[in-house]
Amino acid sequence: MTNDSAMDRLLSASGRLFIAAAAFLTLAVLAGFGLLAPASTPGQIFWVLASKSTLSSTLRLSVPIVLAALGGIFAEKSGIINIGLEGLLIISAFAAIFGADATGSLWLGFLIGIVASTLLAAVFAVVCIEFRADQIIAGLAVWLIALGLAPFASQVFYGGPNTSNVGTFDTITVPALADIPFFGALFDASPAVYIMFLAVAASWYVLNRTTFGRWVRAAGENPKALDTAGVDVSRVRYAAVLLSGVLSGMGGAALAINIGQFTGNGPTMVNGKGFIAIVAYLFGNYNPVGALLSTTLFAGLDAVQLRLQTADVIAVPDSLVQTIPFVAVIVVLALVGKTRLPEAAGDHYESGEE
Amino acid sequence: MSDSGPPRNGDDPSTPDSDDRWSQYRQRLIRLGKTSVGERILIAVSALLLSLVVGTVIVTAAGLMATCRSPALTFGSTTLCYDPFYVFNRLFLGALGDPFAGGWSPLNAQFAATLRETTILVFTGLSVALAFRAGIFNIGTQGQLIIGALAAALTVLWAGSLVSGTIALVLFIPLGLLAGAIGGGLYGAIPGALKAYADANEVITTIMLNFVAVRVTLYLVRNHFADPTSQATQTRTLPVEGQFPSILFDPRTDFSLLALLIALVFVGGVYYLLEHTAFGYDLRTAGIQPAAAEYGGVDSARTILKSLTLSGALGGIGGAVFVMMTLGKFQTGIPSYGFDGITVSILAGNNPIGAVFAALLFGVLKSGSNVVAFATNVPPQLVGVLRGLIILFVAMPEFFRIIGRRLAAREPDSPAAATAGGGADD
Repeated sequence: MTNDSAMDRLLSASGRLFIAAAAFLTLAVLAGFGLLAPASTPGQIFWVLASKSTLSSTLRLSVPIVLAALGGIFAEKSGIINIGLEGLLIISAFAAIFGADATGSLWLGFLIGIVASTLLAAVFAVVCIEFRADQIIAGLAVWLIALGLAPFASQVFYGGPNTSNVGTFDTITVPALADIPFFGALFDASPAVYIMFLAVAASWYVLNRTTFGRWVRAAGENPKALDTAGVDVSRVRYAAVLLSGVLSGMGGAALAINIGQFTGNGPTMVNGKGFIAIVAYLFGNYNPVGALLSTTLFAGLDAVQLRLQTADVIAVPDSLVQTIPFVAVIVVLALVGKTRLPEAAGDHYESGEE
Repeated sequence: MSDSGPPRNGDDPSTPDSDDRWSQYRQRLIRLGKTSVGERILIAVSALLLSLVVGTVIVTAAGLMATCRSPALTFGSTTLCYDPFYVFNRLFLGALGDPFAGGWSPLNAQFAATLRETTILVFTGLSVALAFRAGIFNIGTQGQLIIGALAAALTVLWAGSLVSGTIALVLFIPLGLLAGAIGGGLYGAIPGALKAYADANEVITTIMLNFVAVRVTLYLVRNHFADPTSQATQTRTLPVEGQFPSILFDPRTDFSLLALLIALVFVGGVYYLLEHTAFGYDLRTAGIQPAAAEYGGVDSARTILKSLTLSGALGGIGGAVFVMMTLGKFQTGIPSYGFDGITVSILAGNNPIGAVFAALLFGVLKSGSNVVAFATNVPPQLVGVLRGLIILFVAMPEFFRIIGRRLAAREPDSPAAATAGGGADD
């Protein structure tokens, strides 16, 4: 068994390396074309890639995924697999717009989005911890409830699945730094982008350098030991799941306010980002920084896809190009393979003799 | 999975109860409840009722907050835009075509619509249930249904360009179903192979493949198989021989008893496969005790691949039926039968026969939501909310056990409460 898991880890490590190497190599080849033959198709793709606006849309697209992934890390590290991140993003996206519309303040709307997502996460936590529901099924339920509730509410208040427009956050621009060619995008972004970077750093710190972080990890790895040490496992898990609600809420609210509107047709504007977030943190090996990096891969592909469509570089139909991020997620998952879940993830923990 | 795992806490009370006759009776009831089927039906019914209660609360709250020209209910100064009782009246009675209104015929158009939805939901429910029994979460039935639908439409259109007449009449429907099964099956085999041989989590891969299926079919229909005479993204209409004949019911209802019959045959088939074949046994053991199955000589990778392929094929047949019965062509924007199939399966405790009843219930909800949209101004998305709530409540049997235990403790004379508290340990 130990051998197997060591083997698994080795395989998944080589999978990660392989993806990183492949991405790097592709970039290098494209860069070669870009420098030597800027007019060729790969050359043009490189210049699309290297543009400041690609980086800035990558960052923009990353925000909801990274924040949901951070939430997913906390929940799963504590032993509760939260597959309902998508639902948390959907509900907070709608609530943020509704809140902003009702209060007239985008930041209050942002907060209301967080509250909505946290409430839904609380329901999920009670169902999983108190009533020992199957975590996967309960997570799917959270997704489906939000998928029904948000368009329902939008229909009630706005007469259609799409809300009215409430405007967007003003970007924060750092004077001189914003003019740097490619990386200038880092200094000319929506506040949500800075919140994302802060959240990544804070999550890393909390998980790895604080007592609470140690408890969260212990609740997922060895709840019995934590219990013996006198810490209430259920409470730690509640806190972690609520935290996943807060973080996902920030992500969903940022997503909606970034557009200024909630669109609720079909899979809604969230469109699978919550599930991509799950793959992002699995690929990032439950590390907040890893999750950020792997998200940049998915969001980057999405950004390039969007840019290629508008730039008309390659003549591939839109609907096919749009599958790129989803296919990338599948490929990554297949190459990384089985990730090492926290030991007690998915299990109910009962304190006491029983 | 909640499905028939090993007995949980306190299978048998270690201390023999007093020889009170009543407590023996209760013990028997408890054991009866624990032998799953009874308890599962109770949980399903309670979950359904509870979600309707929550649904009522949501409709009432929405009715209070919404603004409308003519409120449905007025209490003093507070006005309700929606009347929750009328909503549920329309949802259930409307879906059946108002059985208490007099002059009711089982052939009425709204009931036909209910059965039409039911037919497809039986297939998607079976698809999800089969995978679930093997311990696999197939969230991709939606995508498999879409691919199966397109495969069926294109195959029948192609066959229609070759033959017509009696041969076509006999051949086209089985051909379409087969094409749907192959399309959906192959599409299900992708996450199956990825899980079996690369350990890729099927929940995520199947969800991603749903997104891919929507876009790939959109591309194919728009760029290669479009109906030149239509603005909508759709294929040409299938030849008549490739469309399910309406029997007894009005052809305008797009419902065919033949399709429902085929669905029921598949229910029997899946039941037989699961319960009475060696493969079914392997599949179920792999679902309950993967390690034991492997030890017992079950090739788990192949079982996973086969289960997901079969599950996908069932979803694909659902898509074929949708195309050949309901639409008569392939059109993008297929309703979410695959996601509803998850609820159907979970509500049915992943039992193929239970899936028929759960599918009928969901057929009522889906067709009733149209009646609701017509008769009231309550958003039809309400059914989407109920779908999620039902799954949530079915997922927490412990909730109902605790409630049952409380009831049993308060009123030791109530046998019904004792059954509800099936897992009670005393």
